[in-house]
Amino acid sequence: MAFVKLNDLEIEVEDGTNVVEAAREHGIEVPHYCYHPGLSRPANCRMCLVEPHVFFPPAGAIVPDRQLATGCTTVLRTAPPDRKLDGKYDFIVRTDSERVKKARADILEFLLVHHPLDCPVCDQAGECDLQDYSHRHGHDKSRYLEVKNVPPKKDLGPDVLLYATRCVVCTRCIRFADEVSGTGELGLVHRGSHDEIDIPRSHEGVPLQVLDNKLAGNVVDICPVGALISKDFLFKSRPWFLEKANSVCSGCSVGCNITVEYKADGVYRLKPRFHEDINQHWICDDGRLGYHYVNSDDRLQLPLKRVDDALTPTHWADALATITEKLSDIETEDIVVIGSAQGTNEDNYVLQQFAHDVLKTTQLGLFGQLPGEAHKFPQFTIEADKNPNTAGARTILGSANGNTVLEGDALWEKVSSAKVVYLVSGAPERPLEDAEKAALESVDFLVVQDVLPSEVTQFADVVLPGTTFAEKDGTFTNSTGWVQRIRKTIDPPGEARVDWEITQQLAKQLGGEMNYHFAGEIALEIAENVPGYADATHQKIGDAGIKLADSDQ
Amino acid sequence: MSDELIQIETPFAFNEENQREFNALIGRYPVKEAAMLPTLHLAQRQAGYITPAVMKYVAEQLEVSVMKVKDVVTFYPMFFEEPVGEYVIRVCHTLPCALRDCKGVLEHLKAKLDTDIAAETNLAKGTTPDGKFTLMKVECLASCDVAPVIMVNDDLYKNLTPEKIDEIIDNL
Amino acid sequence: MVEERRILYEHLDVPDINTFDVFRQYDGYTRFEKAITEYQPEDIAKMVMDSGLKGRGGAGFSTGLKWSFVPRDIKPCYLCCNADESEPGTFSNRYVLEKNPHLLIEGILICCYAMGIETTYVYIRGEFTLGKKMLDAAIKEAYEKGYLGKDIRGTGLNIDIYTHPGAGAYICGEETGLIESLEGKRGQPRNKPPFPAVEGVFGKPTVVQNVETLCNLPFIVGNGVEWYTQMGPTYADTRANPPTPDPNTGTKLYCISGDVNEPGVYELDLGLTCSELIEVAGGLRGEEVKAVIPGGSSAPILTHYELDTRLDFTSLTLAKSMLGSGGIIVMNETRNIVDCLLNIMKFYAHESCGQCTPCRWGTPWVRDIVQRIADGDGRKSTMTRPKFGVAENGRWGDTGETEEIYEDLDLLESVANNIANVDTMTWNTICVFGIAVSWPAVSYLRKFRPEFEAAIREGKLVTLPVAEATVPPEENYAYQQRFIPKEFADL
Repeated sequence: MAFVKLNDLEIEVEDGTNVVEAAREHGIEVPHYCYHPGLSRPANCRMCLVEPHVFFPPAGAIVPDRQLATGCTTVLRTAPPDRKLDGKYDFIVRTDSERVKKARADILEFLLVHHPLDCPVCDQAGECDLQDYSHRHGHDKSRYLEVKNVPPKKDLGPDVLLYATRCVVCTRCIRFADEVSGTGELGLVHRGSHDEIDIPRSHEGVPLQVLDNKLAGNVVDICPVGALISKDFLFKSRPWFLEKANSVCSGCSVGCNITVEYKADGVYRLKPRFHEDINQHWICDDGRLGYHYVNSDDRLQLPLKRVDDALTPTHWADALATITEKLSDIETEDIVVIGSAQGTNEDNYVLQQFAHDVLKTTQLGLFGQLPGEAHKFPQFTIEADKNPNTAGARTILGSANGNTVLEGDALWEKVSSAKVVYLVSGAPERPLEDAEKAALESVDFLVVQDVLPSEVTQFADVVLPGTTFAEKDGTFTNSTGWVQRIRKTIDPPGEARVDWEITQQLAKQLGGEMNYHFAGEIALEIAENVPGYADATHQKIGDAGIKLADSDQ
Repeated sequence: MSDELIQIETPFAFNEENQREFNALIGRYPVKEAAMLPTLHLAQRQAGYITPAVMKYVAEQLEVSVMKVKDVVTFYPMFFEEPVGEYVIRVCHTLPCALRDCKGVLEHLKAKLDTDIAAETNLAKGTTPDGKFTLMKVECLASCDVAPVIMVNDDLYKNLTPEKIDEIIDNL
Repeated sequence: MVEERRILYEHLDVPDINTFDVFRQYDGYTRFEKAITEYQPEDIAKMVMDSGLKGRGGAGFSTGLKWSFVPRDIKPCYLCCNADESEPGTFSNRYVLEKNPHLLIEGILICCYAMGIETTYVYIRGEFTLGKKMLDAAIKEAYEKGYLGKDIRGTGLNIDIYTHPGAGAYICGEETGLIESLEGKRGQPRNKPPFPAVEGVFGKPTVVQNVETLCNLPFIVGNGVEWYTQMGPTYADTRANPPTPDPNTGTKLYCISGDVNEPGVYELDLGLTCSELIEVAGGLRGEEVKAVIPGGSSAPILTHYELDTRLDFTSLTLAKSMLGSGGIIVMNETRNIVDCLLNIMKFYAHESCGQCTPCRWGTPWVRDIVQRIADGDGRKSTMTRPKFGVAENGRWGDTGETEEIYEDLDLLESVANNIANVDTMTWNTICVFGIAVSWPAVSYLRKFRPEFEAAIREGKLVTLPVAEATVPPEENYAYQQRFIPKEFADL
């Protein structure tokens, strides 16, 4: 550990920490643009200049260093005993001296030289480093009287626009494309004050390559100003009107940590949240843009019942009554209950309790989204399993009461010979394979709990409207053994209900004795009954997640 | 808009002689990318200027992304992305040549060739309609003792006077 | 008149000196042979250190000291010869490359032997087509004669030299800009530390040396350290006790151009004055010297009051200027300093690599302000403020007089100082290009303020007579801040 004097504080930091991070850890802001903890450090913005203090032998005293240094590249380390300052400090640095303040204001003045006064029309307003730092560290006016450069606005790819007039050429986006995605679509063109970020184009401007890798959206997050803009989010909302909740992406089994940003009328944006072991600072575009189905007008909002071969809306009482009627006079062997890898651990726990206690069956199935493409980037992986909770669902459905969990061919064979099937899907617009179609078609009475109409709901006799990850509390277990919390943001649409609540209602109507009030309660019971999940309570999971003790990764 | 990627009609490839030279080039560096500048010079000599086909080819040969080639091409003024005249005339206009009336040289050449001065992103502006000459301003050519100077393709001409300029141009 | 001492340029005009056989007749490669037969590599390095050789490319950093930073146990180590001569006013490397390339090769060989280097890249600017052609031919000859390649002359040494063309970027003359360009990228300088000696091209220890510096090596080895140290002054740095010697030894290829009758390269011992050099170059072309740029366009300008400044590294640094590449540009009474500054600022705005904020957007801003002043749109206020100068008490302070406020001149000085500051000698930029932009701008403004003021007042460029155009030393802050050592030892 290095013992450092930072302004008037005496702090201890781990060897290898740079001044920007050390200051951040102690609530001191060192403004910066080009520095990002997940990327390399070119130290080109010069915004993070700080003032190291050194021993100057001719004066026999510790004085400010002649030259300011960039905080992002100034690394704090333990000094050998004969090089300690004042006999005890490994390093002395000030971030609040007049020289530093002047340098920051001067750099900001340079950054604003060509910057257009776009705040009223710029998406970044409210979460813009240029605004924030200008307010806190800048001069109150610019002395620039000359003509401003006006590089053209550019379309860089399927989701990314570049408002080149606003760019501060920090090169974070270029370094991201080189280091994290390894795809190298971005670079600088021209030289000097004509530097512009761009994709490779011909002289006439026709692209040779576009920014279409699956991590492209991250460059919008890391752009400190409003230069790189997401087409998906363009002009949708001012950030200060958005509520935020910490959650987990439901796009695949990586389980990237996210922040869901929403208003009463829907989810507006997903942004990645830092997690050192899972997704670091990033999220893929499929996950980032994987919230539109939550807002879809096609969401199932009412229970549906098949009347004269057509699914017609009905009310909950009727739908549940229809189901309980069918379930009460049928043999256990003829019922199959299928849980979802899209559902939370709590949803699946309640489901298997229902199956075990009420229906007296220990054979459950596991359904989910079809596998897709995996992608391996230099610093990020997208997995082929497009369900957020395969591991959790499998464990929970299986081990709480020693149940068997059927999957794949075994499951569909069982379904073919079943009379009643209660299938919880939750996988948006999930297409069916032929074997699956055949199996479901043969079922006498099929109940499907889902979020959107799909090929699966097409075969149903009763459809129950469930909820997405954005509309309930619960936990997912990712592919590396992390159990993480998702949080309710918006209310479910229409009369859709949280999945475990539907199951609990069914159970009660069939004489069951479940009485959970909130998801955390269910998690406590999981912690007691499911091996490995002892620490997976909502309180312990918090925002950082819990790694299961016996996970083999 | 971003779906319309460029269609490269004719891919570029080094001719036999240049291929031999290229093979020798990459042998000089531990990393292929380091051969970028000499390779681009070689490609520009063969193709006349750096086209998208050239950039793609060089990127493949040096095992880097196309953007890495593009960003080098736009950084260095000696690489052209537009066709240039058969003779590229570079007129130095930095201080020592300015003290020796490089402005007069430029004006004389503009009048003689009846063309404007090329801009870095618009070389056509300084190219004569018959495609014979491109006139451009460059920075110090390290020949300040014999100023004013111009380069015509690879050759340096020094101690210029209007008569000398006429002689040079007329003999091309 | 000071006599030329032609050492590097001695045989430049011998016919066919660019061929191996003729070069051999003039002691060619004998110095290299002496190095490898009579000395160990560490001995050569010590000789270079003791000789006081300073880098001739622009930084003037002690070559021996630079070599001492290279860790000898990390291999491979590379040598990059900087032949990217682009500093306006400099043209001495060109003649070596075009006329006597074998001398450079011999210098490279000695350096490679001394530092355990097996691969040298000569980064030669793209416009030097003739120079590259001559050098390539000489390298080919050297390979054929067994002075390059594997097992040189049976010594077991392997040394390769490759030429690598640039493509028109001044910034590739900066040592880390050169390294980046050599690695096939945009020539954007790196942050230092780490220094190239420790982590340079391809991540390995790298020595970057200018052509002229390397050409000194055969003579240091051939004629000895004592011979070398007798040329040029050695000063005593009296800030330390006992004083440390500050050698400015050897000859310099002084490039002089502009308003002199015989512009060219003159090889002279370091330390002659400006006036002496102008005399050597055939005298002034014109009536009066108005200004002299002593070291390439990046150097702060000298006025006619300062023509007795000695043209060596130390003296010029103390005079708040620099010797740099040794490209001296002389301007006579007919020249307009604002116009000259505009020309130089346009050069820098064009050549800025654009990597860091102050240089990328500050340099064109400085140019634009000077452009506006030259176009007659400079701003002046009707307000006045106290004038600072040498006051009655003999110290710098409020003189009691007032001066008018020229807003654009204040703005110019402020913006230039925000890029790099000539008073504190610091820079906010990644590399010293920031200094190259701001120090000239501030020095021209401070020393020739009357011409700037006249341009603003009259609404057009006004060329003033020399005496009127120049700020007298007692009113010149930078002049006042010159640090004159109490004593120095001559030769």
